[in-house]
Amino acid sequence: MNPGRQAIVSLAACLIGLAVLSPCARLEGQVLKVNGSTTVNLPAAEAAEILRSEKGMQIQIDTLGGSSGGISMLGDGRVEVGMTSKPVSDGDRAHYPQVDFHPVSIGEDAVALIVSRDVWDGGVHSLTAEQMRGIYEGRITNWNEVGGPALRIAFFNKEPGRGTWEVFAHWLYGNSKEAPQVSFAEVGGNEETRNKVASTRGALSQLSSSWVDGNRVYALAIQSFDGELIEPLPENIVSGKYPMSRPLFVVTNGPARGPAAVFIEFLLSPRGQELVRKHGYLSLAQLQSS
Amino acid sequence: MLNCNLLEPDEKIVRKLRSVEYPPVAHPGAKVSVVDDPVSINFPLPTRAGNWSWTRLVSLGFTALAGLFLLAMIGVFLWESLPVWRQFGFDYILGTKWFFRQHEFGILPMIYGTVMVSALAILLAVPLGVGAAVFTAEILPSRWRGLVKVAVELLAGVPSVVYGLLGILFLRDWIYRLLTPFDPLSGDTLLTAGILLAVMVLPTIITLSDDAIRGVPVLQRHAARGLGLTRFETVTGLIFPQAWRGIFASILLALGRAMGETVAVFLVIGRRDNVLPENWYSLRPLLEAGQTLTSKLGGSETFIARADPLHWAAIVGLGLVLMGLVVGITWGGAWLMGREEGPDAPVA
Repeated sequence: MNPGRQAIVSLAACLIGLAVLSPCARLEGQVLKVNGSTTVNLPAAEAAEILRSEKGMQIQIDTLGGSSGGISMLGDGRVEVGMTSKPVSDGDRAHYPQVDFHPVSIGEDAVALIVSRDVWDGGVHSLTAEQMRGIYEGRITNWNEVGGPALRIAFFNKEPGRGTWEVFAHWLYGNSKEAPQVSFAEVGGNEETRNKVASTRGALSQLSSSWVDGNRVYALAIQSFDGELIEPLPENIVSGKYPMSRPLFVVTNGPARGPAAVFIEFLLSPRGQELVRKHGYLSLAQLQSS
Repeated sequence: MLNCNLLEPDEKIVRKLRSVEYPPVAHPGAKVSVVDDPVSINFPLPTRAGNWSWTRLVSLGFTALAGLFLLAMIGVFLWESLPVWRQFGFDYILGTKWFFRQHEFGILPMIYGTVMVSALAILLAVPLGVGAAVFTAEILPSRWRGLVKVAVELLAGVPSVVYGLLGILFLRDWIYRLLTPFDPLSGDTLLTAGILLAVMVLPTIITLSDDAIRGVPVLQRHAARGLGLTRFETVTGLIFPQAWRGIFASILLALGRAMGETVAVFLVIGRRDNVLPENWYSLRPLLEAGQTLTSKLGGSETFIARADPLHWAAIVGLGLVLMGLVVGITWGGAWLMGREEGPDAPVA
């Protein structure tokens, strides 16, 4: 091999090496990876979009596996920020002992029981906890048993591991681990839940209240022991009267640093909190005022 | 037919080739200085040292890597799912209840779901697909055939999530309305998933069966026509006996795809655990939501399971069973195809 050729070959090798290495080096340093709950994702994704355009930050945001996915991917070190709509449990901490979970609350959300239009028009506007338990355990299978039309109840259960389901189970059974295991058709993300309930006769499911549109799906009120109807409205959620609400968290491993800190600071800033309110959740200020 | 022209030597080129005089070539690596065969001297036969050329070493390395990867995968799956086999043994496969919080892990309903859904898909797609292949290969004029084939092959490459969304948009509601007399709980049923899968595997069956049918020599078709066979007799008596291996292979490939398909099935099957018919002849579960091995693996339980070793083992076990099913069917198919040819053997 003559020297000229050798030079060309080594130059090519250098170029290939650079091409392979340089993007990695850049990615390692700057891309902020976020994953978790679809509920938290609504304001978080919008915040990420703003930070992208205003500060040129690189943020990759995803909702694989909901809240559980957020915690497990943070635990495995695959993301820097996890989003979750249920508190980090002792079980999570025990399973990832090397991870110092650092949750930061950014607001609160309520879970609504939603029904399709025919059920709402058929006269079912509320359920008691006892009735809901009956439906969940399979003792009540027709809407006429709870004052509605003669129609089978098509209950779509939110997937286990979703924050929404945890809140629901906590309401009925005190602890999600106490909930009986059932086999209903399952739904995952909020969009899927809303679509399937809207397009099915006699449908019932649990959904983050901010996703209720009052047009295709309707939120039932919860009837308390003394017969009071409590709707999932902001004032009832803030006062704690509405029983199914949950905090929204972003979680980091140890106190947030670098891009993650910028991201979380933005979510806590007035503009970030405005996004939380925009998506129908309660901002931290609303929570503290009560 | 077009190709025949290309094979006929062009008069001018032949004359030109004949007029060229090959001078004696001295190749640096050659022992002989004057040769009358210029071809073999430019491509010296491999010597003993050439047996261990770089090409050989590298390709051997990659082959070994692929084999090792497969073995390692099976090994990892076995190892990770070991706790569940230890605790339940075959009850893991034959158990009918999956309640992970109570540590009950029986996957028969999911195997049932996978088998029913893919069987339904094959049942629907094979007559349509093979029929379409006979049409494109035997009847369609060749200028249209190219166009149709490109379209079909494009369909085969459409990402499955797109099919899933189409399923949600059209198929779910259509099935729901269609089945109203049977009072299904929703449009998410095993039937919906089966039909969607049939649409998804159809292009695979069409294009590969078409290739198989085109593989039967044209001369035999002329002979068949000469014997006065009708088109139908030609297809059933001449084409199918010779092309069945290729058609069968396309069906096997389609079956493998149907069993392994995740996203599209996930979106329309309803993901309902523990659905089994009251008796094995009952088709009622087809009209209800169900669960397949893949829709379970695609769900959020995979994330929860990481916190519990037994649950995780049960989830990994699903993957192992799925792999076993697909490998079993592929081997079974290969064995069937490799079997000694019976009286139906091609008339070569």
